[in-house]
Amino acid sequence: MTVRWLQSRSARKFFRHRPAVVALVVISLYLAVAVAVLLGGVTMEQTLERIGPGNLPGFQGRQLAEKRVEDCAMVLDRVEKALKRPSNLRAALGEIRYGLLRVADRPPEELRALVDQGWEIYDELVESPDLNADPSLLPQIEQLERLTGQLFAPLSGWQSLVRQFRLLLGTDRQGRSIMLRGVYSIKVAIQIGVITAFISVLIGSLLGASAAFFGGWVDHVVIWLYTTLSSIPYLVLLVVLAYAFSGAVWQFSLLGRPLSVDVGNTLIPVYVALCATFWIGPCRVIRGETLKIKQLEYVQAATATGFGRLYILVRHILPNAAHLMLINFSLLFIGAIKSEVILSFLGLGVKRGPSWGIMISHSAQEVINGFFWQIGAATVFMLVLVLAFNVLTDALQDVFDPKHL
Amino acid sequence: MTLLEVDNLVKHFPVRGGLLSRVVGRVHAVNGVSFQVPRGETLGIVGESGCGKSTLGKVLLRLLEPTSGRIVFDQQDLTQLSYRQLRPFRSRAQIVFQDPNSSLNPRLTVAAMLREVIRFHRIVPLGQTDEYIRQLLGKVGMPADAQGKYPHEFSGGQRQRLGIARALAVKPEFIVADEPVSALDVSIQAQVLNLLMDLKEEFSLTLLFISHDLKVIAHFCDRVLVMYLGYVVEELPCLDIQRDARHPYTQALLAANPINDPDERRELRVLEGEVPSPYNPPAGCPFVTRCPLVMDRCHQEMPPLETRAPGHRVACWALDPPRPGMG
Repeated sequence: MTVRWLQSRSARKFFRHRPAVVALVVISLYLAVAVAVLLGGVTMEQTLERIGPGNLPGFQGRQLAEKRVEDCAMVLDRVEKALKRPSNLRAALGEIRYGLLRVADRPPEELRALVDQGWEIYDELVESPDLNADPSLLPQIEQLERLTGQLFAPLSGWQSLVRQFRLLLGTDRQGRSIMLRGVYSIKVAIQIGVITAFISVLIGSLLGASAAFFGGWVDHVVIWLYTTLSSIPYLVLLVVLAYAFSGAVWQFSLLGRPLSVDVGNTLIPVYVALCATFWIGPCRVIRGETLKIKQLEYVQAATATGFGRLYILVRHILPNAAHLMLINFSLLFIGAIKSEVILSFLGLGVKRGPSWGIMISHSAQEVINGFFWQIGAATVFMLVLVLAFNVLTDALQDVFDPKHL
Repeated sequence: MTLLEVDNLVKHFPVRGGLLSRVVGRVHAVNGVSFQVPRGETLGIVGESGCGKSTLGKVLLRLLEPTSGRIVFDQQDLTQLSYRQLRPFRSRAQIVFQDPNSSLNPRLTVAAMLREVIRFHRIVPLGQTDEYIRQLLGKVGMPADAQGKYPHEFSGGQRQRLGIARALAVKPEFIVADEPVSALDVSIQAQVLNLLMDLKEEFSLTLLFISHDLKVIAHFCDRVLVMYLGYVVEELPCLDIQRDARHPYTQALLAANPINDPDERRELRVLEGEVPSPYNPPAGCPFVTRCPLVMDRCHQEMPPLETRAPGHRVACWALDPPRPGMG
């Protein structure tokens, strides 16, 4: 079966289309990452964890001297406060953690000495009138950073690699890893894309095909439904539906046990809102295609054989419209991801954990301050996926078009 | 013995329009057609594009629902049966289509297509299906390795053979051949026609052969119905059409046939005028707008189809009234 498909005309046409192959590889990578995240590669807790000072730039880029000094002071301050509570010192120190970094297991006197040394340098530095512009102060800043670093237990080789990866794209305002948040959002986006596109294409195809095939009142009802829905501006409908569900709690009992689902905090409002608007596209296309196919002679031949109407629809008509379903699936997949971003940006989408929309909406304040790493990362992650899918959809359309060589 | 009897068959297509898609008119595709087909005979139906000959073929098999009239197949009135009740009939009557490009499902292999039909009607015991498919392909002159292939891997002529194989698969008694060769190259046409003739002999089929080509009909059929704008205007045996044809339309069709002899030249008589729209047919004879023999009466009344010789019926006012006693 697979071998047969690989030798088919469509497959050969596809593999000749080089950008499409690249796009397929990119999408496979995204899918692999999504699966890895799903299997626990990145947990939601990790994306919410403070791993360092806020708004660190990516790729260990340069920062203003003033910010470097302030970041150190914040750490010194936390350690100092913990040291002032000797009754449960261990617990207080244990609370200070930046991702994998833990306070070093040293006697409190040594830690106190390090903190005092740090404060001395800090005091000197803040005295200086022009901290940012004076390069002669750099050695002192570096020394302050080294001292702060010594407060923490050294990382093993693997651990420091992991930490470097997490810091690769910098941190957001709350010191959370932009890399982890971006990667975790791949899972969120693909989950929303796949589920929404699948349900929409399924509903759209079934309604569209039945409308065209059975005609009469079925056709009237379906056309009325989709013309009505498509006369409402899509974003408004999306917002209204998402808003209507946002506070909802579903209560029902399963096997005698009462269950309540806090719908507002799940992705269900997003799915409902997206599917309710997205099924229209495939429905219209599949209805048109079914109208065309049902006139074809092989369908009449099936009727002349006496097959049941449903059998003819499922066996002779739908398989011949399958390429349109596939193309619509990939179109809706992109649409869903983009709409999720818009909804999340408006605060109606993802409620718990990160997503690209959440990242972009959170980065508003950062952009004003001239920090572009979070919005940049979210945009690039999304851009690459959407671009790859666009190229793939384009290629699929060519591949399935018998008139295109 | 009569296998198929058609009595005053009418097929109108409603035309919908306006805001509430009400029926605003009707296309008169088949207007009160009556004829009989004896078992084993090949009946030709000829006429120009849009005269309703294909519609007639499809209505006979209930692929389209007749508006009124009766279709009696082997003493059973098909118009009274539901879709489900028609199933036994479906294995006795089949159709071969015109366009070999759209008559085969592109997603089914030849074997899958035939197996589906054979199993549905339980033509042979389950274990013998594959053997039966091989035989069937042999009968229509296709190699056995065609089984695993898809329709797009075949030429037009081969696909038409596969369409014939599908029709034959249910061991039918009656086949409607709806312009089975008009989409094929001339060289292939002869092959497919000969195949149909051979199969007709072998399976003692009754055929309804629809074509717009009188020469093919004359060669192939026992009798021919000439249709014009949904009416049968003449019915005659095929022994010598050139001599027997009486209706001015049939004569015009014959005159339009090219003669394959450059020495035998003749004046080409081209019909003047337009075919009336089937949406708004004339009150009298449908041929009035183009008929060289048109009279006043033709505009008012449709001439009845009157018997003028054994097996020869003509509907025309301009001809001599039939001699009495020829009923």
